Amino acid sequence: MLSQIFAQARAAGRSALDEPAAKRVLAAYGIAIPRGTTVAPGVRPALEGLAAPFAVKLISQDASHKSDVGGVRLGLDAAAVAQAVREMEALASGRNLRFEGALVEEMAPAGVELVIGGVIDARFGPVLMLGLGGVFVEIFGDTAFRVCPIERRDAQEMIDELRGAPLLRGARGRKPVDEARIAEALLAVGGAGGLLVGLEHELAELDINPLIVSGQAAVACDARIVLSKR
Amino acid sequence: MDCYTTYQPIFRPRVVAVVGASASGGVTPGNEFIRHSRAFGYDGRMVPIHPSAPSVEGLPAAKSFAEVGEMVDFAYIAVGAQHVPGLIAAAAGKVRYAQVMSSGFGEVAEGRALEQQVVEAARTAGVRIIGPNCLGVYSPRGRLSFIGGASPEPGSVGVITQSGGLGVDIILRGQSRGLRYSGLVTLGNSADVGPAELVEYFLADPDTKVIGLYAEDIKDGRAFFRALRTARGAKPVVVLLGGQTSQGRSAAASHTGSLASGAEIWRGLARQTGIALTRTLDEFLDVLLAFQALAPRRDRPTRRCVLFGNGGGTSVLAADAFGSRGLDVTPMPRPAIDALGKLALLPGTSVVNPIDAPAYTLRQEEGRIAERILDIVLQEGKPDAVVMHINLPVFIASTIQGVDVVQNLVDAALRARARHPGQAHFALVLRSDGAEPSERRRRELRDKVVRQGIPVYDEMANAADALAGVAFYERYVAG
Repeated sequence: MLSQIFAQARAAGRSALDEPAAKRVLAAYGIAIPRGTTVAPGVRPALEGLAAPFAVKLISQDASHKSDVGGVRLGLDAAAVAQAVREMEALASGRNLRFEGALVEEMAPAGVELVIGGVIDARFGPVLMLGLGGVFVEIFGDTAFRVCPIERRDAQEMIDELRGAPLLRGARGRKPVDEARIAEALLAVGGAGGLLVGLEHELAELDINPLIVSGQAAVACDARIVLSKR
Repeated sequence: MDCYTTYQPIFRPRVVAVVGASASGGVTPGNEFIRHSRAFGYDGRMVPIHPSAPSVEGLPAAKSFAEVGEMVDFAYIAVGAQHVPGLIAAAAGKVRYAQVMSSGFGEVAEGRALEQQVVEAARTAGVRIIGPNCLGVYSPRGRLSFIGGASPEPGSVGVITQSGGLGVDIILRGQSRGLRYSGLVTLGNSADVGPAELVEYFLADPDTKVIGLYAEDIKDGRAFFRALRTARGAKPVVVLLGGQTSQGRSAAASHTGSLASGAEIWRGLARQTGIALTRTLDEFLDVLLAFQALAPRRDRPTRRCVLFGNGGGTSVLAADAFGSRGLDVTPMPRPAIDALGKLALLPGTSVVNPIDAPAYTLRQEEGRIAERILDIVLQEGKPDAVVMHINLPVFIASTIQGVDVVQNLVDAALRARARHPGQAHFALVLRSDGAEPSERRRRELRDKVVRQGIPVYDEMANAADALAGVAFYERYVAG
């Protein structure tokens, strides 16, 4: 099923999976993703069984960084979702981007924004990264890398290695996050049976950004999987 | 065949062939290799391969590998690059390892195809290639050397280097600092035999206690990772990296890709395998020396250090250097300070940590005061490491002579250490002004003291680097 996702994307001439496909891959490896639904162009969003607040995101292979073009709307109630989807369509046509639909998802519980990523290095093979700061990860440069497969001890050491680790542990009266869930997510991506080792030949780069971690959950709110060159 | 037996012919060959030595009075690298190895006492069979001469360097020559008449364990090849593929093809079934010194291969764009040809010829012939573009093997136990001036004394440090020239530095500068090698192999372009395989050899080699690696580009990075991961720190590995940019992938399409530089990956790999990363040749040698001389502790990683010697500013700077490398130089426990207080040390001596003992204090009891100080430090202070530093010119240039205070200080350290075995790593810093009397004294003392298991350094910052490397490894194996 996973190889089919990659095959379809390649057949469509894409260099990366779209967000819903990337999230299906994550889910297959046991990484928590938000509950949600994909809305095809011209279709009314069906929100049965989903709870507000919602996030609405543009799906377009022409917009790899959708927040840069205004393709992300957060904190919407059910009534505002349909309007937001129509606005995405208008936004895409205004910017000459292919409109492939919208992704409507439940918002993750508030928490600390982390990044879990991976690259397939020419020398060392699959390499895993944990970073702090979500979309600001490059600005902070607070990261820890490991060669895959990692073990549980590596996962914990990666968390400890972040300069910003106190933010996860209740600095300044915040609620501490559930570090075990970060470790689980790291193992799901970079462990022996994990995503990077399993899909080493399919992908070139992976960003789970942000992974929002709270006291209850570690949720992959956005994901980007860049295909390997064949 | 186990890994040790597999690669042993590189370091202990019984039959060596040399291709490219001149028979007509010229001195090529091939002639040098023959001369240096014979001076080293190589006692196997050494056969120059020469198309016409009956003998080279006084040794009977053969016209080809076939004419040698038995399996060549190690062939030293220094001929023009274009001749190498044919030579390797002719080595099928007759040579185990061929080290190719010649350059003009993968290190230059126009030589890449030729390097590929050599690799393919070697695969077909069943010959393993070391190099090309390297300098040779140095093996005191195998009595082989590719350079003059190398010590014949065997040791416990095994080195793999992807640069031949740096290999020369490692051998010569290293031995001046007291390093003694179990073997050193220059891998050059590492077109066939790679660092991972030789790391496995040195891990299996009972004569090797610590492994050093100078790496620029490890093509078998994955195998290297697996070998070290499997070893779980069985032996310390010290790595000096060249050419690692801090830049991520230039064409990265993700945040991760733009952040994933070679340097970052190596940092992670070090945490996963316990290898100590170093930044300069000197630091590399300093850390290797610490591992050669000291016995790493698995149960109590080095953290608390006591520094002791003369020079106020030196003590302050030393505390900074140790602190910045994650080593504690915090005050000793009360009982230690109280006991030192009762020693009636001369005014101006600070006993907290660092123990700043001016030269006139170190002269008390002709230097034997140091033994009493160190006894208290080890007994009551229970440090993980003790570093004693002596500013040599202060004693050498003094008008007070007649007693060898420096020797007494060193002897005091040796005796105190012997009374508290296993309590603390000991390192000695002999500081010099660069003038010949100090330099000579340092050389003499260094040679003796390193043999007794105390690494000797030039400056406190070097000792800090060295102990930080040991501490990193100890933390890794402690889990």
